[in-house]
Amino acid sequence: MTEVQVRDLTIEYQTSAGWLPAVAGASLDLRAGEITGLVGESGSGKSTLALALLNAVPEPGRVAAGSVEVAGVGDVLSLSGKQLRKVRGGELGYVFQASQNSMNPLKTIGKQLLDLGRSHEVKDLRALIARAKDLANRMGMDGDRVLDSYQHQLSGGMRQRIGIVFALVLNAKVLILDEPTTALDMLSQAAVLDIVRTVHDENQLSTLIITHDIGAISEIADRLAVMYGGRIVEDGPLLDVLRRPTHPYTRALIGATARITGDVDAARALPGRPPDLTTVARVGCVFRDRCPFAVTACADTEPPLVVGEAGRRRACHVEPSTVLSGTPGTPAAVGGQP
Amino acid sequence: MTGFARRLAGKLLAGLVMVWVVVTFTFFLVHALPGKPGDVQYESYIMQGFNPEEARAKVTAVYGFTSHDPLFSQYLGYLGRLLHGDLGQSVYYSGVPVSHLIWSALPWTVLPVLTGLLVSFLIGVIAGVIAAVKRSSRWGGLLSVSGSLVAGVPSFVLALLLLLVFHTEWHLLPDAGTSDITLEPGWSPEYVGSVVQHAVLPVISYALLSYGGWLLAMKSSVITVLGDDFILASELRGLAPVTRARYIGRNAILPLFTVLALSFGIMFAGSFFIEQTFDYPGLGELLLKSIGVRDYPVMAGAFLLITVAIIAANIVADLCYTLIDPRVRR
Ligand SMILES: Nc1ncnc2c1ncn2[C@@H]1O[C@H](COP(=O)(O)OP(=O)(O)OP(=O)(O)O)[C@@H](O)[C@H]1O
Ligand code: SF4
Ligand SMILES: [Mg+2]
Repeated sequence: MTEVQVRDLTIEYQTSAGWLPAVAGASLDLRAGEITGLVGESGSGKSTLALALLNAVPEPGRVAAGSVEVAGVGDVLSLSGKQLRKVRGGELGYVFQASQNSMNPLKTIGKQLLDLGRSHEVKDLRALIARAKDLANRMGMDGDRVLDSYQHQLSGGMRQRIGIVFALVLNAKVLILDEPTTALDMLSQAAVLDIVRTVHDENQLSTLIITHDIGAISEIADRLAVMYGGRIVEDGPLLDVLRRPTHPYTRALIGATARITGDVDAARALPGRPPDLTTVARVGCVFRDRCPFAVTACADTEPPLVVGEAGRRRACHVEPSTVLSGTPGTPAAVGGQP
Repeated sequence: MTGFARRLAGKLLAGLVMVWVVVTFTFFLVHALPGKPGDVQYESYIMQGFNPEEARAKVTAVYGFTSHDPLFSQYLGYLGRLLHGDLGQSVYYSGVPVSHLIWSALPWTVLPVLTGLLVSFLIGVIAGVIAAVKRSSRWGGLLSVSGSLVAGVPSFVLALLLLLVFHTEWHLLPDAGTSDITLEPGWSPEYVGSVVQHAVLPVISYALLSYGGWLLAMKSSVITVLGDDFILASELRGLAPVTRARYIGRNAILPLFTVLALSFGIMFAGSFFIEQTFDYPGLGELLLKSIGVRDYPVMAGAFLLITVAIIAANIVADLCYTLIDPRVRR
């Protein structure tokens, strides 16, 4: 069952050069029981897209077009006021990028949990506390102790897990995690992701995990979506995409990850720099400056995201087989090299 | 809470040391001034025809020490009497204990200063929150400017301005004293009303003096907190607006407790000008007068009291901080 349907979503930020899109025409489905990994370099629009799922685009941003249909709720982008507030935390659990400091430093975790319950008009606050303790215990923490603690008394890994407890405790069906492990060491990273997988399976959630690091989520995600310059350029079943990347950017990204290629020497850093709002190409393919496969059409026509076989989509003018073979067809036609 | 007690003890100890330093400093400063306090008086008694024996006895009676003892034993004697709460006697009002003068002046400074501080704290903090939340609108901008303007005006200019407007121009409020002198002090409605009426301008002066500081401090504090991660997190968790406002408020007001202590001291210092302008018989005026007539015991006593008040305010502010912020407890 499709829990979240993002359609043609365009989010713009106001800059000195006017309103510029950070997410352009993105469409994405999150299905029950599936973990979707969203990857892409810094500035590709991952957080912006994720925040838009909660209709929480930060200042000075705006939703320019599109919809976010959530099962049982409707279009989140058309909600406001109390309705919107209830969906945030209620249906959609969000663990945001800097969740190391996501708690009020002046109150114990338990008191903040009660604040959360009251804000969402939970009748049985005892049951809420019990559920939170249970979640905490299962995440390898002492629930009683943690609820009695202040944020500064908890380690980075514990804070991260508390963020996840808060996202789940109201029985959200959709779980969105923005870089849940960046601040953690390798061991805690694996532990946190493991817990996410377990809780996800138990509750048949629809989970979106955002990360820079394909390696980190390759072990737990079911699907993989790749973003570049505000566009979703490729997605599909995780293993399939990892084995047969059919978009030049995906291919380069995987090539740059030693953990997947299994060969540190072969892992080449992606040449060039990712674009930001002001430097991203307005016409043609957003990746063409860095694309070894680029052809003439790439300079003036933006490739649409086309549905392929086996639940895969890609946005590229060049044939999948060409990208897979790894040999650019017509190097002479490479356009727009700076 | 043992950490709390230890912290309090440490603060008190530091405060006592501070007081001792100030006492010592004032004592030796006063004695280094040309024309030692006792000597001046002694000379004048001699001039008046007393014999040296009598003159010395009189000086001793007035100052509580003879200025012909070695300085250090005078100092020890002074400290010893201080420990017993004896501040000596006034020279100008011969024989009146300094503590009596100070006690009767104290309420006229403390009450208006505290009232003014409270009023300006409430208004300034609320205005600061509004100025922060509406900082991109015109009203928010105007509010901030009002803070900077008022904060920049010297206290005596402010007091004179108020006097000009409310007394000279509009005849709304009295210009001097603490009450109508024809009234008998007591709890009669007329007397209390008159006291309140006389206190309005000093209180407003004190309030305006610190309003700008509160506003600007609160504004910048709220803006900082609004950018904190946990505020975004609370929004993404769908916390009720009231709850979020409480989170913001409590976190933003925290740094202001440090300012509170500071501004208490600043107000005390400002009381010189304000009390003089409104001819208000508080500590500031007592101190100014005692400087004018070289009434050294009173000067020393008033300095001591102001020091103690500022140190106490610091300790109280620090304790408030400790009670509110779990990160400082331990
Ligand atoms: N509040 C904002 N105002 C203006 N521009 C913004 C704002 N937030 C993000 N942007 C711009 O939008 C683009 C996408 O940002 P976003 O944070 O969504 O990227 P991201 O993929 O999450 O990056 P990262 O991996 O660094 O978190 C970037 O170019 C960024 O500079
Ligand atoms: S081949 Fe063209 S369309 Fe495909 S990624 Fe490269 S530049 Fe874009
Ligand atoms: Mg991000």
